[in-house]
Amino acid sequence: MLVLPLAIVWLAAVPLALLDGRRRWVGWLAVAALGAGFLAMLRLAVAVFARGPVELVAGGWPAEVGITLRADALGVTFAVLSIGVLLAALAYETLGGVHERALPALVLFLATGLTGLFLTGDAFNFYVFFEIAMTSSFVLAGYGRRTRELRAALIFTVVNLLGSTLFLSGIAALYHVTGTLDMRGIATWAGVADQNSVLLIATIIFVAFGIKVGLFPFHFWLPPVYRDTWPAVAAILSGALANIGSYGLIRFGADLLPRELRFAAPALLILGAASVLYGALQAVAVRTASEALAYSAISNAGYILIALGIGGPAGYAAAILFAVVNSLNKTVLFLAAGLRGWLVSAAFAIGAFSVAGVPPSAGFFGKAALFRGGIAPDDPALSVALVALLFVGGALAFVYMFQIYQRDFWEREGAGQTSGIGSRILVLGLAGLVVAFGVWPEPLLAVSQQAAGVLNGGRP
Amino acid sequence: MIVLFALVVAILFGTGAYLMLKRDLIRVVAGIILISNAVILFIIAAGLTRGRAPIYPLPEGEPISDPLVQAMALTAIVISFGITALLLSLVYRVYTTRETVDKEDLSLAEAEDERQLEVERRA
Amino acid sequence: MTVLTRVIARLLLPSTLITAIAVLVKGYGDVGDGFSAAVIAAFGVLLQYVAFGHRAAARALPLRAMPAVSFAGLLLALLVTFGPVLRGQAPLAHSPAPGADVIYLGTLELHTALVFDLGVFLLVFGFAVGAIDLIAGATDRERGQGPL
Repeated sequence: MLVLPLAIVWLAAVPLALLDGRRRWVGWLAVAALGAGFLAMLRLAVAVFARGPVELVAGGWPAEVGITLRADALGVTFAVLSIGVLLAALAYETLGGVHERALPALVLFLATGLTGLFLTGDAFNFYVFFEIAMTSSFVLAGYGRRTRELRAALIFTVVNLLGSTLFLSGIAALYHVTGTLDMRGIATWAGVADQNSVLLIATIIFVAFGIKVGLFPFHFWLPPVYRDTWPAVAAILSGALANIGSYGLIRFGADLLPRELRFAAPALLILGAASVLYGALQAVAVRTASEALAYSAISNAGYILIALGIGGPAGYAAAILFAVVNSLNKTVLFLAAGLRGWLVSAAFAIGAFSVAGVPPSAGFFGKAALFRGGIAPDDPALSVALVALLFVGGALAFVYMFQIYQRDFWEREGAGQTSGIGSRILVLGLAGLVVAFGVWPEPLLAVSQQAAGVLNGGRP
Repeated sequence: MIVLFALVVAILFGTGAYLMLKRDLIRVVAGIILISNAVILFIIAAGLTRGRAPIYPLPEGEPISDPLVQAMALTAIVISFGITALLLSLVYRVYTTRETVDKEDLSLAEAEDERQLEVERRA
Repeated sequence: MTVLTRVIARLLLPSTLITAIAVLVKGYGDVGDGFSAAVIAAFGVLLQYVAFGHRAAARALPLRAMPAVSFAGLLLALLVTFGPVLRGQAPLAHSPAPGADVIYLGTLELHTALVFDLGVFLLVFGFAVGAIDLIAGATDRERGQGPL
């Protein structure tokens, strides 16, 4: 059962790579395969949440010798989310007409990489699947073939390759210090190793994932890439691929190296706050919708970092909840920004309200969880600063989202061609999901708490 | 031995980083190749053990080398090989559409495009 | 290129391929695997490009089939990976299992790991030859000879 989601998407990706993806039936075939993978993933997730983690060692080797595949609550949460986002983006692109033959296969290879890395219990295997996902996204970023996309793809590839090599050297160093690649073994041995060397490794890994999510000092590549790629590709990059960064920060920080994460908490809070404010201010200043959304992504990555800095079960649960909600918001917004028509502006408005954290959208509960985690009774100055930051960030988000809405949906009412009804309904359905999670947030809250419970640093 | 490895890794990484800052895209690719090779060497250095090849039957009483780093290094080599080919084909595509492999030229062409878009938007 | 290099390049191709096959099939119990075999074989092909030029070498090779070769190799490797799952074993479990008797074909040991390596060989070989052709073709088009 553990390998089924992985096997479905991987085996489907290979023959699809030889077919011409511009044909409609090939696109739908890919959607069907990805849908099957998504269902298998959901089944696995239900089993994991009901009965605890599932584990498997490749090749039938004893544990610690072979490569472990492990599905726990945190991994399956992110896997279901990312595959769902990919499914939506692929269906969107198929409805609108695929322009390049390789697109469906690339999305499936990306799904393979994401499924694999969320379901692995081995640090090096994580890197391998991470590279499968990254490589397909490098090609995806060039989708569209105009100079803008090519340049975006070039920036994206070069910067992220640097991030990958940093991450790889972090893994090699972890192996040197702990003598194992199994995540559970690393968590055990890194806790007793020399703190200075582990701290250096943790910093390297933090920088690598910081580049992936586009945190403040490492964000420079992100705005031109999100601005210049195709809407569906931008949705994939910000809704699915950025999850690697948030998952990596949570897994390697809160699960594998919790001691170092606690040690670095003040730095994380400062960086997170800088990211939130910088992203929000830039988003207010820029003029195109996609650029504002890109800066908004930087701002939202800061919230995840703040939640990690707060720490403890409540902080980690908030980080997971926020990552999930943020990924949904960004998917809705990027997809809606590429469409025109009356259903679309409603969908965009819902996504915008969710980013600003206005009820009854899912974003409200992301912010609420942060509030709850951030109020530390023993440190009133910190609590006040956090609440003020959350308030300012939310207000700025409201301003830039309203600006985009005004510029792109009010003033250009009727301008340009109305998009197909199928894509509009799809985007509205996704927006409906955001509202549904806002109206009935209990399942999402329970999921994030259970996912935080599997983390080594998240146990009370 | 460790110092030697550290020195070589540092030189490779530094040279690669220097090349990545160049305007010529081919040099940027070369810089990335050098950096990924530095990391591969770093992996080998991270698990450096001297001994016989770890293939059955294992020699009695002799030290054997750690096979895991070799496997990791090989995997990293394969990945960097694939990525390099991808990157080169990307640069080639830039060259065929823009007739240039210079970062600055590409930015200029981009700015020109943007100006034209702005004019169209105003019209 | 002189006549001598061409003759040597032509003579070296079969022996390179045989070396590659040897490295491939001995991979199970000795030094070697599908990846290094494919790289050796691709070097043999690269030598043809160097000696005969892009056009002549490309004409002699079934280049159109290379993507198909690559993906067939990947599919083969994946089938070996996920095949054992159907029989209730872990993915990548090989038969005969470690310690069990291997079927011999001469000195060649038959084993499902060999099929996996063959998949890797095809994948890497197809990819490498495609990449060589792309880059060699780029220099050709540069000189104004136009695409093939």
